[in-house]
Amino acid sequence: MEKLLEMAKKVCDKAEVYSIDYTYNPVTFEDAKLHDIESKFQSGISLRIMKNGKLGFAYTKNLINREEILQNVLDSIKGEVEANYDFPLTKELPKLNTYDPSVENLSTTKMVEECARVCDILRSKTDGEISITSSTYIEDIRIINSKGTDVSQKGTFYGIYGGVIYPGSASAIWRIFISKKFEKLPDDIVNEMIELYTLSSNVVETKGGKMKVMFMPNSMHTLNWRIFSGTSSKSIYEKISPVADKIGEKIFNEKITIYDDSLNDKYPGARAFDDEGVRCKPLTIIENGILKSIYYDLNYATKLNAESTGHGYKVLQWGGEQITLKPIPALAHMTIKPGKKSFSELVKSIDRGIIIEGALGAHSGNIPNGDYSVGVNPGLYVENGEIIGRVKDAMIAGNIYETLKHVIDIGDTLHPSFIGLGDYNALVPAILFDNLSVAAKS
Amino acid sequence: MFDKMRTILSKVDADYSDVRYEIKKETVISFNGKELTKIGSNSTDGYVLRVLKNGGLSSVVFTKENDSEKAVNTAMENAQLIAKNIEKPIEFAQIEVVRDTFIPELKEDPRKISMAEKLELVQKYNDIPLSYEKIATTNVDYEDVIREKYFISTEGAEIREDLITTRLLGEIISKDGNLVQNVRVRAGGSNGFSTIRDQESNFEERTAIALNLLKAKPVEAGVYNYILNPDMAGVFTHEAFGHFSEADIIETLPAMRKKMKIGNKLGNDVLNIIDNALLPDQLGFYKYDDEGVKVRSKQLMKNGILTGRLHSRRTAAEFKEPVSGHCVAEDYRYSPIVRMGNIFIEPGKNNFEELLSMLGDGLYILDAKGGQTAGENFTFGAQYGYVIKNGKLGEMIRDINISGNLYKTLKDIVAVGDDFVLSKAGACGKGQLNIRSCHGGSHILVNNIVMGGL
Repeated sequence: MEKLLEMAKKVCDKAEVYSIDYTYNPVTFEDAKLHDIESKFQSGISLRIMKNGKLGFAYTKNLINREEILQNVLDSIKGEVEANYDFPLTKELPKLNTYDPSVENLSTTKMVEECARVCDILRSKTDGEISITSSTYIEDIRIINSKGTDVSQKGTFYGIYGGVIYPGSASAIWRIFISKKFEKLPDDIVNEMIELYTLSSNVVETKGGKMKVMFMPNSMHTLNWRIFSGTSSKSIYEKISPVADKIGEKIFNEKITIYDDSLNDKYPGARAFDDEGVRCKPLTIIENGILKSIYYDLNYATKLNAESTGHGYKVLQWGGEQITLKPIPALAHMTIKPGKKSFSELVKSIDRGIIIEGALGAHSGNIPNGDYSVGVNPGLYVENGEIIGRVKDAMIAGNIYETLKHVIDIGDTLHPSFIGLGDYNALVPAILFDNLSVAAKS
Repeated sequence: MFDKMRTILSKVDADYSDVRYEIKKETVISFNGKELTKIGSNSTDGYVLRVLKNGGLSSVVFTKENDSEKAVNTAMENAQLIAKNIEKPIEFAQIEVVRDTFIPELKEDPRKISMAEKLELVQKYNDIPLSYEKIATTNVDYEDVIREKYFISTEGAEIREDLITTRLLGEIISKDGNLVQNVRVRAGGSNGFSTIRDQESNFEERTAIALNLLKAKPVEAGVYNYILNPDMAGVFTHEAFGHFSEADIIETLPAMRKKMKIGNKLGNDVLNIIDNALLPDQLGFYKYDDEGVKVRSKQLMKNGILTGRLHSRRTAAEFKEPVSGHCVAEDYRYSPIVRMGNIFIEPGKNNFEELLSMLGDGLYILDAKGGQTAGENFTFGAQYGYVIKNGKLGEMIRDINISGNLYKTLKDIVAVGDDFVLSKAGACGKGQLNIRSCHGGSHILVNNIVMGGL
């Protein structure tokens, strides 16, 4: 790495080398039976250079041939991608506790046993088809640049993702549990899966129309993505954010507070620096409904005459190999502040409505504009404060800048919500909204 | 390369093992509005090792050659752990062992076109929408992806195949006041750089749609009858039906597996669905899958009756059905899974005018914009559409998202058009991305689907 940086410095003004090594080990149970065990050991390097205000970018997996990656980065600079920012000099990072040896030492046999344990409980208490994936992920990132920054971090991740599938569909009650260390899936999560599955076993019909709708953490990515888009410096720069000129204004209900805290190392994935080596710090995006700040990476901060907020991450909406991606502004550790109501209290306050346990099509529709239109997968139907079954063939549609004005209440527990979100680690509560539009076949 | 790979396999003590090594070369040019944001060529590589031992199957994916011993040991341990914990041993269906080199013929090899020429072409296309006042911005990405694949197995297979994909993916964003609309533009294919030449009129047409959408009216939520254009019909075929023809998905869903039994009548009589990865010059074209199996054309539905499905060697043995050669990986980072090649509804007998008059009142919706499915439920967006009254095209509509049930919809497809179009650029995510996922077909007439509206 150092050698590559030295070679790069000779041919350009500024250079940065990013390296990542990771190990990923998933164990999968399908239909309550062991189905797959896989392992991945991957490494890679990306190189970013600047010369006369132009950017070069290249990457490789095996750093066998330094000349080749150097040649690729120099060819890339000929394209004249504008870049007027500086790499940071980052020293003295906050100390985070992101690594736990129990993950690295966890045997595959133990993961198989844990999956089997959860499968047995779910199978004995429900008539659903059971799917469980348990995985470990160990990541080692290092960034060095020509300013003298040399930062690195090792992190561990243990996760279990399980679902009770309604037979004949692939629709399910899913739950995800993540930790920095190996932990058994807590009983309350298992019990909630059993209870919700059982209550929603019957298919019921609804007429549709305007009603109360609760987004569960499993479906909150529908709203998260649109919040990401609206408050990103990239969207502001491109003039496609509907809230570009609304900093300081109330855009959501006063119950909504959204912040990003990459330093929160209670959960896996905490970061002391972003993928550009910029020091991370907490950032409030929305406070009591008021838009407080947007978030920046180095590139868009310079374009908009601001400072990076430490949100440059090598991510894509659908994942993708980090080394192949250039950093973009990403709200990678978003948290929506929880409220005070328990899940059962929220359900009790619904006279007629739908709880969206999963959303289909959250990625389609006009995301910059804040529009969404999702299929329920499943949608739990509530009448007089009780879940009486699940609806099929129903859609919920709206615009987040309207929807988030109609908050009735917010759940008191944070859950991870990163399904289909690549490296984003959002923590969100359930949120109950009033008066959303539901289309259904009756 | 094969010698190096044979050395790895020689260290494996198992009933069967295979290794795939790939070099992936990608060239990318990206514009965001007027601004060039990405340009360059890069090369990456890696190994995928699979081991079948005592009825357990496991795979290890690794980057570094000197990790190969660790990979071999891990794969063997994991395969044995699986074998110990399952009741029914995993088997592989028998296949014809292949030793072959297949390098596809191209109409212009993207590797032989200079970066300067590629950049000039992409810039010219990008400038077309940007010359209009109400186009706020664009995202235009050019990519060529060259996968040089080497595959060997302990059965004696030795295959060298290249997959060369050229693609142009664009998004045109129009804006009027607070209203923002977007439309996609696509070009490309499996047979060379020529597939992205002469796209000026494509960009002009898509720009006009993006501008017209600013004047279109939001569609009202409700239940309608529809004509789906070939792209929408293709997404339905791929997402709602095709994924459940992939044996690895239904293998472990017992109730779904029962519903998808070969011989079951699931669809309307007019429905004939086929997956044919051998169609020359189409995006989904390939010769051997990533298990070294020669791909076959597969009739999946005939006159509404389920007639076949897509398999890996593992699922073909499990279902006791013939192998089809559909076990494909995104690249060197993944072990292969069951994938569609070119999937479509075969053309029927009605021309577009006939479909319009059969529909009478309803909606004509065009060009998919994101689709997702979970079991029997699907949700798809369409980029734009028109109201149809008395069989006549009416005003343009926007904000189109439909949701439905696979089994009901298969019965509600009541007529199939006589035209035929397949997609030019793909992106199917099933844990891994398949950029050669190809679908399409004809216009179809389908009744009774929910529209989400706004």
